[in-house]
Amino acid sequence: MSSRDHTELANPFDRSSVSRRWWLLGAIVTIGLLPLVFQDSYWRTNLIVCALNVMLAIGLDFILGYAGQLNLGHSAFYGIGAYVSTLVITKLGLPFWVAFLCGIVLAGAAGMALSMFAVRLRGHYLAIASLGFAVIVHQVLVNWISLTQGPLGIYGIKPPPEIALPGLPVISFGNSANMFYLVAGFALLFYVLLDQLVRSPIGETLTAIREDEVSASSLGINCPAWKVFAFGAGSAVAGAAGAFYASSVGTLVPDAFIITESFTILAMVIVGGMGTLIGPVWGAILLTVLPEVLRGFGDLRLVLYGAALTLVVLFMPGGIVQAAQIVRAQFDRLRARLEAG
Amino acid sequence: MKTRSAIFCLGMVAILGMFAVANPAHAQDKLIKIGGLFPMSGPGAYFGAQDKQGIELAIEQFNKTGVNGYKLEVKFEDSACSPLPATQAAKRLLEQYKPLVVVGEECSDATLAIMPVMEQAKVPLLNAGSSSIKITDPGNPWTFRIMPNEVMQGVDIATHAYKRLNARTAVLLYENTNAGIGNAKVFGDTFKSLGGQILADIGFGRDVNDFTSIATRITGLGKVDVIPTYTLEGQGLRITQALAQAGVTKGGGGQSIQLGTIWLPFGFEQKAGKASLGYVRIVQFDPTDKREVVQDFIRTFKAKYNQDPTHINAHAFDQILLIADVVRRGATDAQSVRDIMAGTKNFFGVTGSVEFDKTNQNIKMDTIHYMETLPDLSWKALGWN
Amino acid sequence: MSTVLLQQGINGVVLGSLYVLVALGLTLIYGVLVQINFAHADVVTIGAFAAYFFTFTFGGNYLASIAVALLVGAILGWLVNAAIFAPLRERGSELLPLIATIGVSVLLQNVMLLWFGPIPYAFDSPYSNQVIRLWGGTFITGQNLIIIAVSTLTIALLYAFMKFTFMGKALRAVAQDRETAGLMGINPNHLIMLTFVIASALAGMGGAMLGPILVLTPFAGTTVIVKAFAIVIIGGFGNVEGTIIAGLLVGLIESYTTQFVNPGLIDIVVFTLLLMMLAFRPTGLIAEKREENV
Repeated sequence: MSSRDHTELANPFDRSSVSRRWWLLGAIVTIGLLPLVFQDSYWRTNLIVCALNVMLAIGLDFILGYAGQLNLGHSAFYGIGAYVSTLVITKLGLPFWVAFLCGIVLAGAAGMALSMFAVRLRGHYLAIASLGFAVIVHQVLVNWISLTQGPLGIYGIKPPPEIALPGLPVISFGNSANMFYLVAGFALLFYVLLDQLVRSPIGETLTAIREDEVSASSLGINCPAWKVFAFGAGSAVAGAAGAFYASSVGTLVPDAFIITESFTILAMVIVGGMGTLIGPVWGAILLTVLPEVLRGFGDLRLVLYGAALTLVVLFMPGGIVQAAQIVRAQFDRLRARLEAG
Repeated sequence: MKTRSAIFCLGMVAILGMFAVANPAHAQDKLIKIGGLFPMSGPGAYFGAQDKQGIELAIEQFNKTGVNGYKLEVKFEDSACSPLPATQAAKRLLEQYKPLVVVGEECSDATLAIMPVMEQAKVPLLNAGSSSIKITDPGNPWTFRIMPNEVMQGVDIATHAYKRLNARTAVLLYENTNAGIGNAKVFGDTFKSLGGQILADIGFGRDVNDFTSIATRITGLGKVDVIPTYTLEGQGLRITQALAQAGVTKGGGGQSIQLGTIWLPFGFEQKAGKASLGYVRIVQFDPTDKREVVQDFIRTFKAKYNQDPTHINAHAFDQILLIADVVRRGATDAQSVRDIMAGTKNFFGVTGSVEFDKTNQNIKMDTIHYMETLPDLSWKALGWN
Repeated sequence: MSTVLLQQGINGVVLGSLYVLVALGLTLIYGVLVQINFAHADVVTIGAFAAYFFTFTFGGNYLASIAVALLVGAILGWLVNAAIFAPLRERGSELLPLIATIGVSVLLQNVMLLWFGPIPYAFDSPYSNQVIRLWGGTFITGQNLIIIAVSTLTIALLYAFMKFTFMGKALRAVAQDRETAGLMGINPNHLIMLTFVIASALAGMGGAMLGPILVLTPFAGTTVIVKAFAIVIIGGFGNVEGTIIAGLLVGLIESYTTQFVNPGLIDIVVFTLLLMMLAFRPTGLIAEKREENV
């Protein structure tokens, strides 16, 4: 991938580490308040879907925006997480949190395997290879009926088990507010982890590889290993989202993980702003809430979706982050002018 | 700055306008609110478009006079033929529109996903188009189905194939979906238990383009008596043509008879041409039925939409007919709609009659009409039920 | 049994030649631009609809409708290039045009859904149900014969164009080395436009011939395009001969998988082959001097 894809955007949300702590506090308070603002179960489900999509989007962005690997098969890792976590419970009888871990590990391992296999490939070859991988995973889910039930679907998947802490009321995840806290909590956790990662020397290493693999190698960086690592980490996050998808929706069918789902996640990353972590968060929220608000428009909403994706790429490739920057620059200029005169 | 505030004002007006459109004022006091959950986008939109036609026609007719002093109103949400969007649409409908009864979905996956949501909200769901047995077995007290399920249809057609057509060998053709796999399995199990033989079991995805290869494979299987086919109109058309071209079915000079269930619409034969000769299939809606309710429906449908009604139009129409009947019998809220609907007897709709068993499955088999396609592409009613 | 095997061979070749028409466009664009065009699928679909409406709404001749679809495809190709690829080319990004064409594809599919509706169109050509008996009990339909004939002719013409005309030579030069092409005094923008027009014309024409075979809905093209991507990779991106061989190979894999295994497994077989190719022979079936992407 050429460096011109990633004209380094100063993150408008990014200040010192002190203010980052305030941001984190703000995020926690917002997550805490949201289910209280949205009482009905329709909007609460939307909140959960938002949190799931945030996980998917930041995971993909880590692979795409930071490690520069064109992954068009993110839906496959989402599906692996969902099916593995469910089957570990129903077929092996293991508890939810073990199954959850299995979902993450297997999705991550699948991502690493694909990446290892495709490590020699760049750009478009990797794009098509990951697309092909997603097709295979979907078809295996459809055809391996004895294991996955195929298109017959798995119904009545239970939410995560209740948590009973001494001295506190029992926390049941059958309650949509608690389920949201759980999913959003993990989304935030993954965000913070990835954020720490991209700010650490590892982040710099990944950026160096993305910008110029040849020079990075000459500096003694083991490029293939780092690419595999990034791919694995991003797909593991998608695996976690899959496990939560299964336990919050309660129904699994292979068609929930078709390749167009990958395109939707990609759109979230692009509209939000690839190569920043906060951008995809906003992209995920916007592209989850907007279609729901536009529901009354039927097919028109997918027309708008396609148009938005195209227009963003053509006119604002930095996505929401770039838009926010422009607005802030305008604002600063205005303020400067006011102060001056 | 002026233009900017003008744009801002315009934007506000547009947003307010959207809210006004989304929440029509309810001038009517006595209103029966019906929710409609159907796929309106994506490939399944095929169903939703036709369901909407049938439902709107029925509502228009009832509102000319009102039912028991009530008017009927419907609001549709796009449930997209898929579990997550369907539960989302159901929740949204229940919370924002607060219907007394909901009709829908077509796809079994989506219906199964909606059912617990409806049960929790204690609002009855009336289904007409999903065939999975799981919807009513075990089912739940809030879900009703007027269409015969996959077991009823499958056992019936397999038995008739064995006894009346003297079929001993069969090839199963089905799309790899909940309904396709379920239907084919019931046919296969019944046919084998009667002493028949399944020569091949061929499932295919909805994205398969070429059916010549499947037809060719069947030519190599020896004598095949019947070919039960479970697929939607688009692929169904290509399968029937490919089987005829390969000389397998009667339409292509062969011996095999294609069998089908209610998936295919009226007018399929005209599209498939002489390839469909000898096709024996269940239709949920028989336009040659002389009953007044059927002929009235066909006439008014043609007058409104200027086209012939399909079975999807018909079963959607029947859903409203049944709800109106339940209202006429005194239902006023969700609970009474459920209770009175469960006691339905001697209801005659366009597709047939309705009487529910303990699982809220319609047990009347007169919704199954067997038709054979004649050389002039018209239907001969076989009168097997 | 041998009749069946032979017949499956014929079926595979028919399907393969259709895939080749679609995949060739992708490979041509890749060869010159090193870009993937996702909206190529929708050019196929729109070509099929153009042929349908020309034949049934305007009562035109089916064979003439193939030419109409070709023209419609060419215009679409020009539009997609002018609106998406040309403006983005200056940014020199590998990823952005790909994503933009995914957006265009979603847009076009849903605009078609609004206009044409979701109910499949029954598009039969006068040759669809004409069965021509061949040797040893095998047969081919008139429509399939047309598909093979038109595909072969088109591929031969394209080949001749690339080999013997100045523009064709220039195209190949650009595909191999952009700077040299510039030195030859060719405006690369014109060449890229030409490539898009040719590629999309092929796709539109493919649509007109696919229409009477596949289930014609606004999503028809997408069922073909995913396989076309696989073919392009198996054949080696930008490699015309490789694409032709890979297309026929995938067609044959499809018909023999249906015969011996199950049609439900076709995609798994094709894409596993794709991944194997990428792992062991990423330059495609026929190796070419194109190493920079590997």
